Amino acid sequence: MKLKREQKLKLYTNLVRVRKLDEMMVKALLAGKLSSHWTSQKGQEAVGVGASSFLRKHDYVFYCHRGHGITTLIPKGLSPGVYIAEHFGKGTGGACGMKYYSHFDMELGIPGLSGTLGGDFVLAAGIGIAAKKRGKGQVVVCMQGDGTYGRGTFHEAALMAANWKLPVIWGVENNQYMIYTPTSEIYPKENIADLAFGYGMPGIVVDGQDVIAVCEAFQAAVDRARAGEGPSLIECKTYRIEPHVYAMGDLKGWKPRPQEEIDVWRKRDPINLFRERLLKEGILKKADVDRIDRDVAKEMEEAERFADESPPPDPEILKQALYSD
Amino acid sequence: MRQIRFIEAINEALVEEMTRDETVFMLGEALRGGTFGTTSGLVEKFGKERVLDTSISENAIAGAPVGAAIAGYRPIADLMFSDFFLIAADEICNKAAKWRFCHGGKPKLPIVYMASTGGYIRSDAEHSQSVEALIMHTPGLKLVIPTTPYDAKGLLKTAIRDDNPVVYLYHKLLMAKKGEVPQDEYTIPFGVADVKREGSDVTVVAVGYMVNMSLDVANQLQKRGVSVEVIDVRTLEPLDIETIIASVKKTKRAVIVDEDTLRCGVGAEIGMQIIENAFDHLDAPVQRIGAANFPIPAAAALEPYIFPQPKGIVAAIQAVLGRDLGGPIEMEGASDTLRQEVKQMILEKKVKD
Repeated sequence: MKLKREQKLKLYTNLVRVRKLDEMMVKALLAGKLSSHWTSQKGQEAVGVGASSFLRKHDYVFYCHRGHGITTLIPKGLSPGVYIAEHFGKGTGGACGMKYYSHFDMELGIPGLSGTLGGDFVLAAGIGIAAKKRGKGQVVVCMQGDGTYGRGTFHEAALMAANWKLPVIWGVENNQYMIYTPTSEIYPKENIADLAFGYGMPGIVVDGQDVIAVCEAFQAAVDRARAGEGPSLIECKTYRIEPHVYAMGDLKGWKPRPQEEIDVWRKRDPINLFRERLLKEGILKKADVDRIDRDVAKEMEEAERFADESPPPDPEILKQALYSD
Repeated sequence: MRQIRFIEAINEALVEEMTRDETVFMLGEALRGGTFGTTSGLVEKFGKERVLDTSISENAIAGAPVGAAIAGYRPIADLMFSDFFLIAADEICNKAAKWRFCHGGKPKLPIVYMASTGGYIRSDAEHSQSVEALIMHTPGLKLVIPTTPYDAKGLLKTAIRDDNPVVYLYHKLLMAKKGEVPQDEYTIPFGVADVKREGSDVTVVAVGYMVNMSLDVANQLQKRGVSVEVIDVRTLEPLDIETIIASVKKTKRAVIVDEDTLRCGVGAEIGMQIIENAFDHLDAPVQRIGAANFPIPAAAALEPYIFPQPKGIVAAIQAVLGRDLGGPIEMEGASDTLRQEVKQMILEKKVKD
């Protein structure tokens, strides 16, 4: 897929929106407005944005726990206000304030998120079964972190998707850390994408800091899935800049994470890289950059205001939510 | 009225509901061949796309239905043995049970998790357990345990039409049992207990195969002049506590019989609800019977030390009556007959195939 000018602008704008929202979540955490913790996805934005910006409305996305879907769901169409409201414990949140990090809106292809890491693999396979039965060319993109691919559920789901040629794209957001443990210590090979071999599906490695590379890899896998050719596995190499949980300890193994390692990756910030490229290509001008920053800042301020002003969940919801009549 | 086997009643419900609604499909291990016969003939009628044979992958068998249900289908997952629910506990107890509630009551999850359950089959602890206490303990799951072919069919049809996850367990010893099942369409609502036998001296509340054992005991005790009321709960969630309480208020005595481990079992829950709702009506402390607090051993010689036995039910009834019933009561081992019937049925099926 050759990306058009407007598509590149959309990718850039989504990257800026996601970064701004992440920064806003940090401020909200420090202001005591979040119900619980924050796991910043700063520096990893190109992965989710590249994977989900050009999915169709009725395609489905699962997302990795880091950022609570911020990079995947905002490009997919979830309103930032709804996203923030869920984190503020408000009734207008994407799960009506019931789940904190998850949202449900099947009109946008957002089925929610498992609380146990790796619980989503088998659900994604199940949605793949439904999509295949319906026969309308829908696909499921299942983004999960590198550590999550240690779950046995991945094997069961990957086997099911491969055997039945389900339209599922398995995305690995490899940020090189599983909490404090370096990912290189928990897999016997350099690339998690090599797992694909045993299932007879393509296993692709891309630079997760390059939003165009991510986008093109996912679009090729999506085309393949829509054509009934089955699943793919795409590993995006990226890096976790912030600690595992914001404002908590930051270790590599059991010792402090080396600052020089972080600094190397800070230089490969996906937004800076893409901005420079678009400025060079003449697709962006300095004035556009400033305008996009201003527009996004305004959008996120309004989103936060929406969440601030939203009421908490009505306790009546407890009676209706357990069972469907 | 015609008589059919328990397994055939389940099969009929599956055929009727899959015919009625094209979004119903099944997945599990060796379903096309059908390990217990519940799914016999389905693949010929509905094709491979609706009768999906999976690898040995309980997490996917239980988890894929959650995804498929959210996306508009009505999957039936066959876990074969209820013991295997423990493999798939994350999918059943964390995903299916919680997905709707934790997403603000927005999704619908029309899923049936079915499996054989229970023991007295001379097999090991991982193929003989009962899981009703675990499932009943988990908010968000309905729980159905039929004891007759009539109930097996009517309750399964209701389960498939329900928009919520339903755990449907059928006891291994009851699979070959025959009973009256009408040709005409019917369903049985959840949350309505069945008073199997009216009585005035004591209420026995029973679950699953224990209903059959309790009825045998009640018939024997009738000869000694004791009138036992036997209630089949049929569904543990929702539980028809009103029928149980009304019966206890009448008889003033209660015994609860369940096959799951006694500790923290269904008997403890139902017994406590009786105490909360009818304490002033009780003439004796509530008695409960369940499996001893051990994993289940395979050897036949050890079975009586683990699983509820007719004489244990008799002893509990004597205790709540506060009087001796006059000498030991001879009870045939009901489970022996049922076990023979199941073996015979499997043998006949093999010959036929």
